[in-house]
Amino acid sequence: MKKLKNMYRKAGIILTIISIIFSSILSTSCDNFVEPGEPVGKVPQTKVFEDEATATAAVMTLYGSLRDNVMLTGGFYGMNVLMGFYADELDYYGPSGQSIEAFYNHQIVASESLVKSLWNEAYSLIYMCNSAIEGIEESPNLSSSIKDQLKGEAQFIRAITHFYLVNLFGDIPYITTTDYLTNMKVSRMATDLVYEKILSDLNESKSLLTNEYVSGERIRANKYAVSALLSRVYLYLQRWQDAETECSILLSATSVFALESNLSEEFLKESTSAVLQLKPKSEGENTQEASSFLFTSGPPLNLALRPEFIEAFDPLDMRKQNWITEIPGQGGIWFAPYKYKLRENSGTSLEYSIVLRLAEQYLIRAEARAHTGDLPGAKADINVVRNRAGLSDTPASTQAEILQAILNERRFELFTEQGHRWFDLKRTGKAGEVLSAVKPNWEATDVLLPIPEAELLLNPKLLPQNPGYN
Amino acid sequence: MYISCLKTGKSGCLNYSLKHYKFMKKTNMNVTPLGKGLKIPVRNIFVRAVIALMCLIHFSALYAQNNGFTIKLQNVTLEKVFDQIKAQSSYTFFYEHEGVEKTKNVSVDVKNASIAEVMKQALKTTIYTYQIVDKVIVIKLARAEKKEKASVLSVSEKDADISGRVTNKDGIPLQGVNVLIKGTMKGAVTDEDGKYSIEVTDNSILVFSSLGYSQKEIAVGIRKEINVILQEEIAELKEVTVNAGYYTVKEKERTGSIAKVSARDIGNQPVNNPLEALQGRVTGVEIVQNTGVPGGGFELKIRGRNSITSGNESLYIIDGVPYDIGTLGSRDVSGTILPGGNINPLNTLDPSSIESVEILKDADATAIYGSRGANGVVLITTKKGYAGKTSLNIEASGTAIAVTRLPELLNTEQYLQMRREAYSNDGYSQYPSSAYDVNGTWDQTRYTDWQEKLIGGTAYNNTVKASISGGNEQTRFNAGGSFLKETTVFPMDFNYRRTTVFSSFSHNSADNRFRMTFTANYGTDKNFIPGTDLTRVSRRLPPNAPKLYNDDGTLNWENSTWDNPMAVLESKYRNSTRNLIANTVLSYKILKGLEFMANLGYNRSDITETVANPYTQYNPAWGLTSESSHSIKNENKRDSWIMEPQLNAFYEIGEGKLNITLGSTFQEQNREQLSLLASGFTNDYFITTFSAASYQVVLNEDRTQYRYQAIYARVNYNLKEKYIFNLTGRRDGSSRFGPGRRFANFGAVGVAWLFYREKFFMNSSWLSFGKLRASLGTTGNDQIGDYQYLNTYTINTELNYNGYLGLTPSHLQNPLFAWEKNRKLEAALEAGLWRDRLNFEIAYYNNRTDNQLVGIPLPGTTGFSSISANLNAIVENSGWELSIRNLNIQKKDFQWNSSFNLTVPKNRLVDFPGLAGSTYASQYEIGYPLSIYKLYKLKGVNAETGVFEFEDFNGDGIIKSTDDRKFIADLTPRFYGNISNSLIYKNWNLDFLFQFVKKQGYNEYYYYTAAPGKMSNQPIGVLNHWQEQGDQAEIQVYTTGRNSNANTAYSRFTTSDGIITDASFIRLKSLSLSYRLSLSNTGPGYLQLYLQGQNLLTLTKFRNGDPEQLTAFLPPVRRISFGMRIVL
Repeated sequence: MKKLKNMYRKAGIILTIISIIFSSILSTSCDNFVEPGEPVGKVPQTKVFEDEATATAAVMTLYGSLRDNVMLTGGFYGMNVLMGFYADELDYYGPSGQSIEAFYNHQIVASESLVKSLWNEAYSLIYMCNSAIEGIEESPNLSSSIKDQLKGEAQFIRAITHFYLVNLFGDIPYITTTDYLTNMKVSRMATDLVYEKILSDLNESKSLLTNEYVSGERIRANKYAVSALLSRVYLYLQRWQDAETECSILLSATSVFALESNLSEEFLKESTSAVLQLKPKSEGENTQEASSFLFTSGPPLNLALRPEFIEAFDPLDMRKQNWITEIPGQGGIWFAPYKYKLRENSGTSLEYSIVLRLAEQYLIRAEARAHTGDLPGAKADINVVRNRAGLSDTPASTQAEILQAILNERRFELFTEQGHRWFDLKRTGKAGEVLSAVKPNWEATDVLLPIPEAELLLNPKLLPQNPGYN
Repeated sequence: MYISCLKTGKSGCLNYSLKHYKFMKKTNMNVTPLGKGLKIPVRNIFVRAVIALMCLIHFSALYAQNNGFTIKLQNVTLEKVFDQIKAQSSYTFFYEHEGVEKTKNVSVDVKNASIAEVMKQALKTTIYTYQIVDKVIVIKLARAEKKEKASVLSVSEKDADISGRVTNKDGIPLQGVNVLIKGTMKGAVTDEDGKYSIEVTDNSILVFSSLGYSQKEIAVGIRKEINVILQEEIAELKEVTVNAGYYTVKEKERTGSIAKVSARDIGNQPVNNPLEALQGRVTGVEIVQNTGVPGGGFELKIRGRNSITSGNESLYIIDGVPYDIGTLGSRDVSGTILPGGNINPLNTLDPSSIESVEILKDADATAIYGSRGANGVVLITTKKGYAGKTSLNIEASGTAIAVTRLPELLNTEQYLQMRREAYSNDGYSQYPSSAYDVNGTWDQTRYTDWQEKLIGGTAYNNTVKASISGGNEQTRFNAGGSFLKETTVFPMDFNYRRTTVFSSFSHNSADNRFRMTFTANYGTDKNFIPGTDLTRVSRRLPPNAPKLYNDDGTLNWENSTWDNPMAVLESKYRNSTRNLIANTVLSYKILKGLEFMANLGYNRSDITETVANPYTQYNPAWGLTSESSHSIKNENKRDSWIMEPQLNAFYEIGEGKLNITLGSTFQEQNREQLSLLASGFTNDYFITTFSAASYQVVLNEDRTQYRYQAIYARVNYNLKEKYIFNLTGRRDGSSRFGPGRRFANFGAVGVAWLFYREKFFMNSSWLSFGKLRASLGTTGNDQIGDYQYLNTYTINTELNYNGYLGLTPSHLQNPLFAWEKNRKLEAALEAGLWRDRLNFEIAYYNNRTDNQLVGIPLPGTTGFSSISANLNAIVENSGWELSIRNLNIQKKDFQWNSSFNLTVPKNRLVDFPGLAGSTYASQYEIGYPLSIYKLYKLKGVNAETGVFEFEDFNGDGIIKSTDDRKFIADLTPRFYGNISNSLIYKNWNLDFLFQFVKKQGYNEYYYYTAAPGKMSNQPIGVLNHWQEQGDQAEIQVYTTGRNSNANTAYSRFTTSDGIITDASFIRLKSLSLSYRLSLSNTGPGYLQLYLQGQNLLTLTKFRNGDPEQLTAFLPPVRRISFGMRIVL
């Protein structure tokens, strides 16, 4: 009995000692104890950029977001469709009262959810770019060549996203940090300052990237892609000489780029015209553009090309036959864009969404040359595009005629591609003149979309609202 | 013997009650020393460590002793001397004889003298002598003592020493028990180990008595040792101890708000989940059952919803082990049968294995749980073994189960009339080909009560339980298990099965210094139920819809004119969950008044659930094959451990008692989830074999860790058993916050004043108990999910590009967010009248939660729409809680108790900066509860157009959701409570409880998104509808949908106050009648037969079925149970 008692006593003492020691050790390392292990399905930002494969994945996701979420998406809420309605390319056939109808009718209000999502998705992608750039810069492990490549791509995507934002909304904040305390209180930046930032990003990107297409396919930005975008930026800025220089870089790289002689191959993934394409999510899928535009029988479910646009084509224009499809149905015939022809899974993907292509470079250089007085050079560039479409040389001769010819050519070449038509009308100051005829609700203030209402409520520093909206 | 302590009210003698006092008055007893006083030699490292810990809480002067007395008095009464002694020390006095203090001519002159010297001088000229017992100086007659000793000696030839221990049924030693030799003046009192010794003769009878316990008489015989177990007296409720988690406290002396539900109340109900047994029983606690299907979920809220967007779950502790109440189920798998995929983990805990449930509500009770106490704490204690004869308990019961109430719907005639009128209203000249119900395709004389057919079945529950318990003073055990099987009210053979086993083992050393308890509860259930609840479809099917089966027994698709509701039963849901809770508590009494404890616990829960959707649930006309079959599987597991070393110290200091608890917590929880979707099977036989699927995808893969650490302390000071101060505090660290933000301090102060012990009430004939208590403190909430502070990327396969996995930033990183703080305030009055026959408690509470953890809306330029951060929004929960208990009748054979509970809660959003501009604007309103709905205001049916009209709040002529959904409906109860009765007549026992709730709810139209006139059955109320100009009607014109005004108006109607109605009810929640038959005249064995019921009767004007549940899932069910229990 006494032994047992002693045993208990000893056990108790030992237990007490152990516990006190244990708890004092644990107490001194409090912060260590409450440091949890790493989660699954989530990766700490620092880890992502420690490793080449995950860092690359983070940057590839930026393209994925461009493809699916942001203005360049071929989906229904991308520039292709939205600005096709907004300008004079598409007619609306969807149900009445849909948000998208406001783009067609020019009845957009600041609380429009589509406007808000355009804005938010763009800034969300910009955040992803900034997060990637910061991660890459701080990474101790990545080789400098990988760092240059990935950072160059991220800066390119940041620039192109801001480029669309500034053209849609006017003065906008140019965001280059992930710090939400800064970003939640930003003010709008004058358009020319935004462009300065875009140019700075693009120039840096250009210096970081090489001429190689890293993955073989033309689905990641390289130096040429940057030049192609730069030339467009210079065009919008009316810096003609710079625009011509950038175009020439691409147009002289004949071993890399050549216009597809067969128009129906222009939008295939192997297209030699392509400067930058977006690859579908998984093998066998094709583009969202095809799903958005094509329908099998009339009347259209959502949209169709405007009849005036079809009538405006030269009957000989091969582009009308190759890039537009006729859809008969109950009560008439409708026309749909047919640049992308595959809606269904084709086992192996055949078409990729084109972001930048060579034909645009010819037309940019033509315009730059026309402005700098090189009229023969301008005509030569126009004719390259016309001839490929089976048309004869342009009859235009004066500078004004040539510029008008370029605008027309852009209309037929670049229709329903990333809102080119709208941005051309806007930058040349012809939007009102052209659209007021076909859009009853047109107002001069429609050249800009409204800043989303929720945005102004949450950050009054973004005031004032664009004119014409309240 | 006369004891003056009641008069002087000094400590050390207040253990003795009035009853006790009377008893002692007529006896002359030897008061054995209660202990050797408090001397703590600072001799070893443990004590040093303890003292160091004590310093943490600024605790000093504990050991201050009197260095000496300096008294100079001449020719005074003894009383004056004693007063001086009391003033200079913590000694108190016992007088054995009246008038001691009046003794005159006493002189004392000492400087720095010891107590012995003072007493010697003081008593020198008197007839008295003294003895010091602990801190009590007993004054006795000098001669009498000698005389008594002599007399005892003179008859001592046959006397023998007898000793033993007195414990309660749990084997805990009872201190201060009076042990009296019957018919003599002799007695003894037990010491702190429950031990006594006394000189007796063989034929003596010992009488053991102690307040709160029934008296026991035992004949000595030739025994040398008599160990006694005293049973607690049930009537003495205030002496009952309540579990406060890290400590226990007497009901009478508690400073906080703790509600206790005992095994008896839980065991009287034929329910599967302990929370169901608590429903409607406790003030301030609202419990909603999500579905009447077995194995579903419950929501329990203690004193309202505190957090806007973070978790509002209370903290559950089972036998000292924190228990995550979050569901392991996945919405993807079980969401269509169990609302929200909610499966309550307590389903696997057999309610009958529970000894008590304590609900901690206010700051005083919850602050010791710190960051997890904001939403209250639910402490569940399972049954332990008792010392005594080994007893076997076998129980079997059978229960019949059915739905309680159903809404009344149109019959075929009324329905077809509605349809025809709708077509005629809409200008149809002939019925469309798809209008099968009215165009002649379906039999128009057919009538089926679909509610009866699909959810009107009777389900059965069979339960068998067995347990065995016993032990002796040192070792006790309790072990058992249960098995139940319950079917469903749906057609076809579905069932829920549960198996539980439990065991507890406790042991203490003979000297009681070392103690240990081990408890393990294991439960597993298998649920096999339909993939989809049939309640919604049962209310919508046209009453003349075709028959379910063809004559050959195959499903009838009636030439593809309908979706046969039985087809969804082809989709089957199965789950199997396992749950283990194990816990060991070790304690060791290092010194008198100082105890070390360690609580070690482990919990593991896991689930495997599968829903199989075979192609056969679709109309064969689709021509589908098993390639279209698919199934989803979810595997989720969670395990956690906890370690809590703790020191308890008890001292008597001054005129009070000091209790100190100091401890720390280390806890870790890991969770792992994987859910998969598989589709395309060569044969449905393989439908749950994932490797046989032609397509498989991972829906979710997740692994998280939660770690938690704390130190906690409690200092309780009980002054004169009249004034009680309780300080609790905790310093907490949670891994859910970023470095530097993890730790925070929480604490509370509670005070109680037992005013009935004040002189003023001392002689009151009506007031037998009175206490005022108040508490104030802070608790916190960390229920925001794991890893929110980390800057992470999430795998997003949607954005895969060029073969690379999509990786997107998960959220905006805010390493700065921290605890949600909850400030709680409570004041309460408790009283017992007429010798505690009537007891009541009334409490007011006011809790405010600020620093709310919410997603603060951000402009899109930040890249995200919100960030997890602390927002300066304030949510307030306040209210009144009243409970009254009355002993109506107490006779030898008949006892009748009644009680009444009432809770009047109020929830209010006090402040929310930037609410108007935020995404929360359509959801919340300042000054209103968090549970509001913003709705259109129905003006009625326009007598001209026959269409519903709504209030145009901003007067712009347009009804728009952003501007005109301004009517605020609040569905939380205004007040709720219960009236319960317990009657005992001889061997009969009857208990019943009426629950009442005053609230609003969704009426019968809430289910119907289809306007009356469409092909969907409707509640009977649609008969009162508009037919022609000038009609004043409740319901608008019937339409098949062609009347677009009516169509739009109806969709607004379903989001207007037109769907809100009074949903108050009074319900006979539970009833239990039992008869007990003794199996032998001497032993404790008995046979008990019982009849129990749940949700038996409901009084309400509510027309939408059961008023307790407002979703389109199976409501709570009625249960009637018959059972038998044998205790041997």
